Amino acid sequence: MAAPTSFNTTKPTVETKEKVDYFNLPCPIPYEEMHREALMSLKPEVFEGMRFDFTKGINQKFALSHSVFMGPTEIPSQSSETIKIPTAHYEFGANYLDPKLMLLGRVLTDGRVNARVKCDLSDNLILKANAQLTSEPHMSHCMVNFDYKGKDYRSQFQLGNGALFGANYIQSVTPNLSLGGEVFWAGQHRKSGVGYAARYSTDKMVATGQVASTGIVALSYVQKVSEKVSLASDFMYNYMSRDVTASFGYDYILRQCRLRGKIDSNGCVTSFLEERLNMGLNFILSAEIDHRKKDYKFGFGLTVGE
Amino acid sequence: MASKGVSLKVKGKSSASKSKGSSSSSSSDEKSMCKALKDWSNWGLKKAKVIAHYGFIPLVIIIGMNSEPKPSLSQLLSPV
Repeated sequence: MAAPTSFNTTKPTVETKEKVDYFNLPCPIPYEEMHREALMSLKPEVFEGMRFDFTKGINQKFALSHSVFMGPTEIPSQSSETIKIPTAHYEFGANYLDPKLMLLGRVLTDGRVNARVKCDLSDNLILKANAQLTSEPHMSHCMVNFDYKGKDYRSQFQLGNGALFGANYIQSVTPNLSLGGEVFWAGQHRKSGVGYAARYSTDKMVATGQVASTGIVALSYVQKVSEKVSLASDFMYNYMSRDVTASFGYDYILRQCRLRGKIDSNGCVTSFLEERLNMGLNFILSAEIDHRKKDYKFGFGLTVGE
Repeated sequence: MASKGVSLKVKGKSSASKSKGSSSSSSSDEKSMCKALKDWSNWGLKKAKVIAHYGFIPLVIIIGMNSEPKPSLSQLLSPV
């Protein structure tokens, strides 16, 4: 009788660090998405009122969406009081999603059109356009981006209406660290600016920092505590206007729901819950309590469809 | 001497203005061409904005209805 072969041969317990191949670095995250983990955890789309979204898929690639919103909308006011006006609108949207072409269009009852186009001109060159069009003259905005993706770098050139030009570049320096910079020039306001950003990410954490000549210093840190829980914190300082904001939040991604909450240094507590009641049926609860301004916003909504 | 200087200066000025006059006509040509270009591009952008405003969503719908598998009109209009 043959002796049973032992399966677990003793492996060396010391992990040998792989030598970093600096010519084979991964492609970095796009410059504008650098803060995306912190943004997803700390800035959910809180709303006030009732929201109902219905997305109807007609095709693999084509879908129509109908969305109803009823609730108070804040209008910017000079005084410290917040002025809210009750509004209700219906939004119709059409989405076309192809691997090479994405078209997203939304039209509201007051005639505003929101259009987004993303087109892969070649393997590495992507054209993106984003436009908000209104019937009022001089109130429409449009922004066109050309993205070029290299082996371990990305560069982007932006054109906007009102003679807005921008360019940014981000490069992977080590497998975990990427550094980037941007310049922009706004013709209408005669302003220009330079900014630098850095992002360090591992499996468990992401830390980003951004400095701009417009006076903004923004730092963020996201730690993935487990598969379901991540904690995020964010610090923003404007050295021109001496404005400081720090926030700390959590993000629980559970089987049936996603719960996000944050607390701010402006005395603002936010919470956002998306619960999956059934396949394709989501229930949303949103709450934002601003203790300093005494502004309490509660919203609920239902999302039907993918 | 002074008068000579003055006269020279005047001559210099007149010749300079003469040359400026000729160059100004060419520069005014250029300026009017630039102006015309700007006017045409403004007109083009305004028309493009109106076309995008009214035509983007119909364009998305047309592209969607012509994609494979071809959906029918009833699928577009029915709420189910």
